[in-house]
Amino acid sequence: MIAQPAATAETGGPAIAIAGLVKHYGSHRALNGLDLDIRRGEKIVICGPSGSGKSTLIRCINALERHDGGSIVVNGIRLTADEGTVQDIRQEVGMVFQHFNLFPHLTALENCMLAPRLNRGLAKARAEKLAMHYLERVHLADHARKYPARLSGGQQQRVAIARALCMEPRILLFDEPTSALDPEMVKEVLGVMEELAAGGVTMICVTHEMGFARRVADRCVFMDHGEIVESAEASTFFQAPESGRLRDFLAQILR
Amino acid sequence: MNGLPIDVDLAWESLPALFDGLKVTAILTALPLLLGLALAFPICFARMSDRRWLAFLAEAFVTFFRGAPLLILLYLVYYGLGQIEALREGPFWVLFGSPFGCAIVALSLNHAAYMVEVLRGSLLAVPHGIVEASEALGISRRNVFIWVKMPLAIRYGLKAYQNEVVSFIKGTAIVSVVTITDLTAVANSIFEQTYDPFTPILCAAAFYWAFVNVVRIVFDLWGRWLNRHNAEDAAAAAVVPGRGRSLRSASDLKQVTP
Repeated sequence: MIAQPAATAETGGPAIAIAGLVKHYGSHRALNGLDLDIRRGEKIVICGPSGSGKSTLIRCINALERHDGGSIVVNGIRLTADEGTVQDIRQEVGMVFQHFNLFPHLTALENCMLAPRLNRGLAKARAEKLAMHYLERVHLADHARKYPARLSGGQQQRVAIARALCMEPRILLFDEPTSALDPEMVKEVLGVMEELAAGGVTMICVTHEMGFARRVADRCVFMDHGEIVESAEASTFFQAPESGRLRDFLAQILR
Repeated sequence: MNGLPIDVDLAWESLPALFDGLKVTAILTALPLLLGLALAFPICFARMSDRRWLAFLAEAFVTFFRGAPLLILLYLVYYGLGQIEALREGPFWVLFGSPFGCAIVALSLNHAAYMVEVLRGSLLAVPHGIVEASEALGISRRNVFIWVKMPLAIRYGLKAYQNEVVSFIKGTAIVSVVTITDLTAVANSIFEQTYDPFTPILCAAAFYWAFVNVVRIVFDLWGRWLNRHNAEDAAAAAVVPGRGRSLRSASDLKQVTP
């Protein structure tokens, strides 16, 4: 057997290892014994029809949903029901939501400062410096003192990205980050995400932005009925889909 | 010209006594508001607890004290508890032996019962996605409550709270039935001395009106400060369907959340 690439040995295993993952909502089986390993620094795009379990999958990774069976190991930490373990994993994993979910009573800057101040006990000045650094990275330094209600959807989503980055996570989860945006704002958010992808962070992105998937993804994953139907490098994924279900799906969204 | 039902001289002479009455009313408002709120928090947590027995006890408390008419509650505390000999001999008699202590207890229990529901409705109105975002950032439950849930809940519940405080202030008038000389009792005693049916009562009404409006102004300023993050939407957020004690449930509150 040929030795694994050096990266794996050096960093001690994958960023995320998911095996036999099962999640029920009542009698509905949202995740049906799903396996997925994600290397460090890998960019993964997950797509699939609505109700296929893609959001559920990434929400299980940071325990926003508790899984019912199988195992999730994040950066070597095995996810259990234990509150401390959950907190440890959440420090490693940042998340960006479809509906931004900014704190409406705090300015963009304060949104970014809250978690570093509370979790890491950073002093106000240091937290502010950190927050400004990441707001600059998403090109919003000029809007730092504004409240979310004063920002456009695209700007709000970029604040949400900066807020996640302020915890300096090694893994970023995106749950349909552009689905709630007006078309003209999609580009600015995808632009920021592409810049992030150029860095070393591990990214898992649920999205139907196929252009983004082509440019950024190391691997595309197609889910249906709580299972991974097909998983391939972006070019193969789009040009030579193996399964009929993926072909149908691509035909639908690329129409 | 004597078309006015008000005897200006009598009104002027009554002012000092009415002010003393207002002071008593203010104290009987402030103390139960503080005590009731302090009591409402743990009961609200119990009410929202996953432990069924705890939630049941809290719900029973709310149902009983919100259902019991304040006047009867006051009678029960003042006359009823005095029948219990153990209490009369015990250390709490300092409290229950005085009309003032009894009024504070009854008013606080009543206010707490209402506030449990105001608080619960406000907390339930906090969008779930925002709480999830805080959790995803790895913020502890306690900190999420202090820094995210509570600040938003206060904003959502402010109008309901204001309604409760205003109707509570007027509700304190019933303490006169247990010999406390609050604003209403002072007006009554002036009526009994002078047989002028209008002047003292109208003066007392003016005092209540002024008191309630000072409270309203404080709430308005507070609300404006809290809602500075969406100043243009503040007016829309301030519109509450119904008034007085009709706004009680979480679903009512949800309609007014921005």
